[in-house]
Amino acid sequence: MNKHNSRRDFLKKSVFATSSLMIPAFLKCSVPPAALKASQNGKILVIVQLSGGNDGLNTVVPYENDLYYNYRPTLGISKSEVLKLDNNLGLNPALSPLHNLYKDGLMTVINNVGYPNPDRSHFRSMDIWQSASGADDFLSTGWIGRYLDQQQTETISPHQALELDDTMSLALKGKINSGYAAGNLDQLKRSTNNKFLKAVSHHDHSHEGNTAYLYRTLSDTFDSADYLHDQSQIYKSSVTYPGNAFARSLKQTAELIISGSNTRIYYVSLGGFDTHANQKNQQTRMLKQYADGVGAFMKDMKANKKMEDVLVMTFSEFGRRVKQNASRGTDHGTANNLFLMGGGLKETGIYNDAPNLKNLDNGDLIYDIDYRRIYATLLTNWLGVDALPVLGNSFDLLGFC
Amino acid sequence: MNLDNKKKIQHLYWRAGFGLNPYEWEANKSKSIKETATKLIQTAKNAKRLNYQSPYSIDQIRSLTKEQKKQKRRNDRKAVATINLQWLQRMSDPNVPALLEKMSLFWHNHFACEIKEPNIATQYLNVLRQNALGNFKDLVLGIAKSPAMILYLNNKQNRKQKPNENFARELMELFTIGRGNYSELDVKAAAKAFTGWTTQLGQYHFKEQWHDYGKKTFMGQTGNFDGEEIIDILLSKKETARFITRKIYTYFVNDQADDTIIQKLADQFYETNYDIGQLMQSIFTSDWFYNAKHIGTRIKSPMEFLAGMIRVMGAKFEDDLPLIGVQKALGQTLFKPPNVAGWPGGRAWIDNATLLLRLNIPNAFLDAEEIGITVKEELEAQNRNKKLGNVKIQVQLDRLEKTFGPLQTDAQLLAFSEYLIQPPVAHNLALVQDNIPRIEGARYFKMAFIRLISLPEYQLC
Repeated sequence: MNKHNSRRDFLKKSVFATSSLMIPAFLKCSVPPAALKASQNGKILVIVQLSGGNDGLNTVVPYENDLYYNYRPTLGISKSEVLKLDNNLGLNPALSPLHNLYKDGLMTVINNVGYPNPDRSHFRSMDIWQSASGADDFLSTGWIGRYLDQQQTETISPHQALELDDTMSLALKGKINSGYAAGNLDQLKRSTNNKFLKAVSHHDHSHEGNTAYLYRTLSDTFDSADYLHDQSQIYKSSVTYPGNAFARSLKQTAELIISGSNTRIYYVSLGGFDTHANQKNQQTRMLKQYADGVGAFMKDMKANKKMEDVLVMTFSEFGRRVKQNASRGTDHGTANNLFLMGGGLKETGIYNDAPNLKNLDNGDLIYDIDYRRIYATLLTNWLGVDALPVLGNSFDLLGFC
Repeated sequence: MNLDNKKKIQHLYWRAGFGLNPYEWEANKSKSIKETATKLIQTAKNAKRLNYQSPYSIDQIRSLTKEQKKQKRRNDRKAVATINLQWLQRMSDPNVPALLEKMSLFWHNHFACEIKEPNIATQYLNVLRQNALGNFKDLVLGIAKSPAMILYLNNKQNRKQKPNENFARELMELFTIGRGNYSELDVKAAAKAFTGWTTQLGQYHFKEQWHDYGKKTFMGQTGNFDGEEIIDILLSKKETARFITRKIYTYFVNDQADDTIIQKLADQFYETNYDIGQLMQSIFTSDWFYNAKHIGTRIKSPMEFLAGMIRVMGAKFEDDLPLIGVQKALGQTLFKPPNVAGWPGGRAWIDNATLLLRLNIPNAFLDAEEIGITVKEELEAQNRNKKLGNVKIQVQLDRLEKTFGPLQTDAQLLAFSEYLIQPPVAHNLALVQDNIPRIEGARYFKMAFIRLISLPEYQLC
């Protein structure tokens, strides 16, 4: 019959091509040049989501600003502790692997990222970030899903956007095409190792409407599980990663990238940043987990000459209030900083002015840069696609890539 | 195409409820549509009030220490999980009016609201249940006064001195008239009319000193409107009847809207002064509802999928708490919609992860296989992912086997598949047979059952 047969053949070819020659799969296949141009320029985006609302002011510390220490008498990080970035800002001491990247010219810090009428609910604000909507809009698709929607269904596989998790975030859900979620490729392989379901998925019938959609999703699920598992066997990292789940996801990501998988976007989350009480220990622990994982990942990229092709973006659904609360923690806030890392950045260092602590909105930071400008820049300049149909509005691009 | 009566009855029960267990099927398969639909609607009108007895007295709540408040939040979370599971249990229970639970689920999706406290979850659910098939205005007004919605949409912060427009906006955009039929000035005027509609100790409370008694101009009319009058004006617009009817049609009939039919139904809904029961009666008893193009074409929501399966299996859980994790992994946790617009539904339910989980759940429920997936942590939690393990469950398959036979013949298997699955699956039956080891008796029946409800077509109703 139809589309998904041809895609299956295509996938088989690409597995073969990649495992024998280690050349990005797409380059070996007979995809029409136009589709290839639109969907594959060899650049890979890795998104790291810090869930719970990471406290940006104690991540990138304005260590020369007295107001900062006034607002945070016990929670402030002292000048002597911070890892200095410039004459005003320094990193939380737990972020030393990032400090090295910064010194090597592989990192951009963007301050004061947010959106108008910020929402303080974790779920709603995460929804907004993942769907790339305004605060008053409710979209049922995510920005990465809509990126997939813009591509020809015939030439894409769902794992072109891969979330390293057992369940899929809104970010990866599109209207026509969606991404792929897989927390553990060995386990996924086992759970698709069901003879009956496999036979059903490959059963050729012509279906229509929702039935066809279910069959297409099922056959894609099996095909991608096979593809990803095969890819994950090609290269095993020799870099030492920390032993936690987040680092394992990044290691899996690195292995797939180095094997030349045709995944363009990887999505990894780390939770535990909701630090209402006794923030210091908790945030230090989480930032260390984050930075050690990302540090190992970037080392892997460097060792395998992938640094130029890989860009890591880290965000959180909101920052926290400027003033510490009575429990030595911080409550939900608004604008936040955001990190970009990789060898392909055009402007590195501190991208824009530090947060203005003199001009607060009811105790909260005021955003300078709409987060969708960052998405627009990534879509246009990194992934090489038209951002307008993905974001629905045009946003001024930034110069970081 | 003429459908046989059995298929029509199944269609009605799937759309107005959660399918039929073998007893219900035997009792209803030969009944007329009109009689069955009328009974479904009548029984759904007598909603029993749900009760929640808080372990805390009002005085205790007032004097909780910080640590006790934390403990209360934990207890509340567990209690809301219990209310969730009791609801799922009712959806699965053949002795409970199915349409009442189905309509309440529809309204929960329409008046979508995240709720963290058991007393206000119960109050909110009672508003949905008591008006589920009643008058739409009573329902909207009940929701506008429910502490759950007041808290969720910040009406507690809506005061004369500093209006908060959140509730007023969603009232128009999502709950009644729909986008494109009101202006930003209307939002501001409506917000004023709802100032002072707040809550106190889990109850609705009108706070006079916060209310704006001044003149408002709303949708071309000027007066000292309060919230109820705003609702009256909204319901006096035919667009509201059409907006609600369209939503009901795309939920109960087909996600592809039919504008001609919707307009006819909307006119009737408007003329009956928003009588929900009559609207549902018209839908379920009309010929077009049983058109083949509507049968077996809708993707079940996770709740319909779970409740339908529990119902047909007669399943009892030793511990049903893992079902909260299953709901989450499938993308629908009761009292926790993604946002005020509700669950997007339709194809959005299905991605690689949710589909594989749906297809593996029959094995987990009937063959004690591990579900084996890890559910994402809560955003506010401290990095605690939960792995779903085995579900301990007792099922009653003997009645099914008695009704449909041991499934050893093609004819038996076909009849059983037509009972279980709404779209045609005859083309898959050879595959089902080929994938059952040659074993006798109850084991064979169970394997065939698992295979059938693991087919992609089982996801449709």
